[in-house]
Amino acid sequence: MTIKPNLKTWKDITIGGVVESGTSEHFHTGGWRSKVPVWKKENCIQCMTCWAFCPDDAIKVVQGAKGKERGEFDYNFCKGCGICPEECPQNNKALKDLKAKDASLKVSPSTATGVPGFDEKAAILFVGLKEAKDKFNIK
Amino acid sequence: MEKIIVARTGNEAMAEAMRQINPDVCAAYPITPATEIMQIFAGFVNDGKVKTNLITVESEHSAMSACIGSAASGARTMTATSSQGLALMHEILFIASGIRLPIVMADVNRALSAPINIHCDHSDTMAERDSGWIQIFSENTQEAYDSMLQANRIAEHKDVITPVMVTTDGFIISHGMERLEMYPDAEVQKFVGEYKGPYNVLDVDHPITVGSIVLTDYYFEYKKAQREAMKAAKRVILEVGKEFGKTFGREYGLIETYKCDDADYIMIAMGSTAGTAKAAIEELRKEGIKAGLLKIRVFRPFPAEEIAAVLAKAKAVAVLDRAESMSNQAGPVATEVKAGLFDAGVKVPLASYIYGLGGREIFLEDLKNVYRELKNIAEGKSKPEQAKYIGLKE
Repeated sequence: MTIKPNLKTWKDITIGGVVESGTSEHFHTGGWRSKVPVWKKENCIQCMTCWAFCPDDAIKVVQGAKGKERGEFDYNFCKGCGICPEECPQNNKALKDLKAKDASLKVSPSTATGVPGFDEKAAILFVGLKEAKDKFNIK
Repeated sequence: MEKIIVARTGNEAMAEAMRQINPDVCAAYPITPATEIMQIFAGFVNDGKVKTNLITVESEHSAMSACIGSAASGARTMTATSSQGLALMHEILFIASGIRLPIVMADVNRALSAPINIHCDHSDTMAERDSGWIQIFSENTQEAYDSMLQANRIAEHKDVITPVMVTTDGFIISHGMERLEMYPDAEVQKFVGEYKGPYNVLDVDHPITVGSIVLTDYYFEYKKAQREAMKAAKRVILEVGKEFGKTFGREYGLIETYKCDDADYIMIAMGSTAGTAKAAIEELRKEGIKAGLLKIRVFRPFPAEEIAAVLAKAKAVAVLDRAESMSNQAGPVATEVKAGLFDAGVKVPLASYIYGLGGREIFLEDLKNVYRELKNIAEGKSKPEQAKYIGLKE
């Protein structure tokens, strides 16, 4: 999908608010959170409970030495719901719910607009829509 | 082309039109006086005369919801309702037009409760005038049939993609038997054409979301797009009406004028009353009163410029409303006509009337009296009144 950084006018939007699938990948919902969980790899027993409970796709699975294992957070999609530290069987030794003050945990700008902001969701959706238009020959 | 002359009620004619269109899906709930349309159509389904998937639901809210699901899945979808049924659909009507689904609905005009009443007026349809649906009124059974055959073409046109309701006057047209010229099934199907929906939510190769939330950022833009579609609908309705005329011999427009060319006094009416007005005009012309009729066939989109152009030469105008808007002003049709005249810079004495609520009969003499009142107004003998009730017990 080609993502263009400009917002669309009423002439460009697709018919009836149709949104192509997969656009949420480009919409970085991490910007909503007030708290952020932190993973302590040394205490993690790789039970994958956090991965199973994460309501988004913020916990990445990576290829480890013995197979697939839990990787770092993708903070672009972590809304700070606090479910993963709550469910962690290591009692906060592996996952901690912290205030988001660490600059390194900032959400990167959404790929659609290049800028974080209120309109970015719509922009992403409508770029998806534009593609839907082309695909379905909608005028 | 061979024409099949039959005797049909309005409901039968609409059901026959639906049989010939052979939609993929119909979802409906019965309500007087529209029940017969789907009842007759259900017979066609049962007899294998159509391939339609008929969905019986538990309410009109569900009927329109099922229509939306069906239309969003790439199926040509139709339904029928009336009065309280249309009112119960209210919430879903805006969704159908907002997500741009070309559903076609037969609506039989009936008064809204309370008091509970099953007879004709336009209050049900007028209450949905801002729902984003195209609204086409019928003067008689023939028009109801003809407009139903044009509705899919209008709704599905790529520049429009907006739902259409075709209305008849409850009992007066819906249950009144008239001479109807039908056209051969094959010719109708050729005219209506293959369905090509705007999108298909069941296309697994191209998954999409329909009905997503759009807030302050783009909701406004969607409404503008809908408005432009309504603007385009005026052109498309005329194109389809013209092609219908070439194919079947009866051309349709946004409005119909009857003896307006030299008319001093013009009445505006919609639905079956237009027929009564034509008879009144014939009699008045014999008395030397130059009377004319402007029938509004398409209320949404509203043909304001076209109406203003016709009224520009009139000495006095009467607008008849078969609905109350309880605004202490004129009824909904007259209010829109006045706005159109103001925009066009046409200044003409205009009297507005409310009539026929809850099926109150409108007589030839009532309409002749309206023209006589217009004459008095034009001659300065009286002032035009607003929302004057015709035939009220007082």
